Amino acid sequence: MHARTVLAGACAGLLTLTLAACGGSGSSTSDATSTPAASTASASASAPALTLVDGWAKSTDSMPAGSMSMTGVFGTLTNATDKDIQVTGGMSPAGSMVETHETVKNASGTMQMQKDLDGFTVPAGGTFVLAPGANHLMVMGLTQELKVGSEVTLTLDTDSGPVEVTASVRAFPGAQESYVPTPSPSQ
Amino acid sequence: MTATTTGGPARRGLLASAAGAAGAFALAGWSASDGSPRGAPPRPQDADPATSVRPFRGEHQGGIADRPQTYAAFAALDLRPDVDRDAVRRLFTVLTDDIERLMTGAAPVTDQEPELAAVTAGLTVTVGVGPALVARAGATVPAWLAPLPAFSIDRIEERWSGGDLLLQLCAESPTTLAHAQRRLLTAIEPLCTLRWVQRGFREPFEGEHHPMRNLMGQVDGTVQPEVAGRDAGLLWCGDEGPAWLVGGSALVLRRIRMTLDTWDRVDRLSRENAIGRRLDTGAPVTAPAGATATAIADLNAKDSLGFHVIDDGAHLRRAHAMAPHERFLRRPYSYDDAPTEGSLSDSGLLFAAFMADPVRQFVPVQQRLADKDLLNLWTTPVGSAVFAILPGARDGELLGERLFA
Repeated sequence: MHARTVLAGACAGLLTLTLAACGGSGSSTSDATSTPAASTASASASAPALTLVDGWAKSTDSMPAGSMSMTGVFGTLTNATDKDIQVTGGMSPAGSMVETHETVKNASGTMQMQKDLDGFTVPAGGTFVLAPGANHLMVMGLTQELKVGSEVTLTLDTDSGPVEVTASVRAFPGAQESYVPTPSPSQ
Repeated sequence: MTATTTGGPARRGLLASAAGAAGAFALAGWSASDGSPRGAPPRPQDADPATSVRPFRGEHQGGIADRPQTYAAFAALDLRPDVDRDAVRRLFTVLTDDIERLMTGAAPVTDQEPELAAVTAGLTVTVGVGPALVARAGATVPAWLAPLPAFSIDRIEERWSGGDLLLQLCAESPTTLAHAQRRLLTAIEPLCTLRWVQRGFREPFEGEHHPMRNLMGQVDGTVQPEVAGRDAGLLWCGDEGPAWLVGGSALVLRRIRMTLDTWDRVDRLSRENAIGRRLDTGAPVTAPAGATATAIADLNAKDSLGFHVIDDGAHLRRAHAMAPHERFLRRPYSYDDAPTEGSLSDSGLLFAAFMADPVRQFVPVQQRLADKDLLNLWTTPVGSAVFAILPGARDGELLGERLFA
């Protein structure tokens, strides 16, 4: 299972890059000089310290009307450096802020989502998986629709500075768990 | 006596003309579908068939000229009313990523059953578009991209016909197929509504000793144009049409219901007369003993009473190409669905044929079969659809990207 995940991640990273490359300018690019090898080379040459591999966000298309206040972002945070990276939250043009969320068992024994006040630690040279029903990022206070097949950008706050990541917006019927507002520790 | 021993390319061309254009039930050996030489083993020995992978990237999509997998599902969808040009592009963004992942076994990013996706089983997903989608993308609609004319034999039902978007899924595992279909349909659900799904199968043990046979027992869908060589122009769209379609093709999908209750009453000699071929080998009834399905039919041969040996209404004769361009690549699947009330079977053929121009290549043949074909006694077209099959996605490209050029 672990091996499969790693393989999928490596494959998907290339996909994300190629899709971003052809979608960025909005113009139709000629592929006469484009080769897989070139994609691979550019991927390793400019690999940032922290990336979101297979990043995706739940689209608002299929959300019930009126419930479109926030959405989950998933994927595999990948740390290419030799020191741990702490992700504590962030910003997105699609909403008011980005929060780190975790899944906890409440007093009645059911699983609920709540803000993870400590953030996520992506280990040096390792990964941190964001998945429905587990740890994930939330774009709070959505200010726009997230349409399936579009992209959403997040700027993550980390202890080594801001990191921009993108996620592909996808239809997803899950991730409808209830969320528990977490009292701020300062209050 | 086979095509290979009777002559060179000229004779083979004649053979392909004679049998290749046959309508629903044309016969003889599937050739070189994966680009391998004629006579090569029809089933490449994969290290592990469960995880065999067919290429997604390339000039053409998979699921067309490659060897037909055992199981297929054809799903047609309609665009939701509010889908505009941008939304069509987003549709292809999702499809390209998810199809590439499914075909390579990586699983779509939203897939919570990646273990099912890991069994690729030679999966191909082939994407086609109808005229409404092309129009919404703002691209040129080729003249042939329209419903086929109504033929006198047709009893077309809307529930098997038309559509804005086609997904043809083929795999060696029905589990793989079901999973891929479910994942793709849910992935694009905000943009499309499902119109119909038609599922089919071929002979799982298909090979030299076990040809594809339809459910009437006839060797089916085998003699083909040489699409990997000199007949490539019959299959792939070229510069004569819209630029976005170069390297693409057209799919004609006809759902042909078999009335097996009445077919059961027919003796084997009469069955062979109706088709013009022998049931055991698929060879033309004029061919000498020991001939194979690829033997050349003698349409002029007469019996002692002066009647044509190949009946004037035989399917082989009526489907015979009257011009070299009246040929196309057939990739048929049988269907055997749950019988409706009062019947014992709901069986037939998903006649899937790929070609560069259906109006030029397919319609004349279908017209002849509608005018006269003994097989019409037991077969009825109940579904019909035409799609433009997108060119393959090259490296860095989305499927359908050239629609937006």
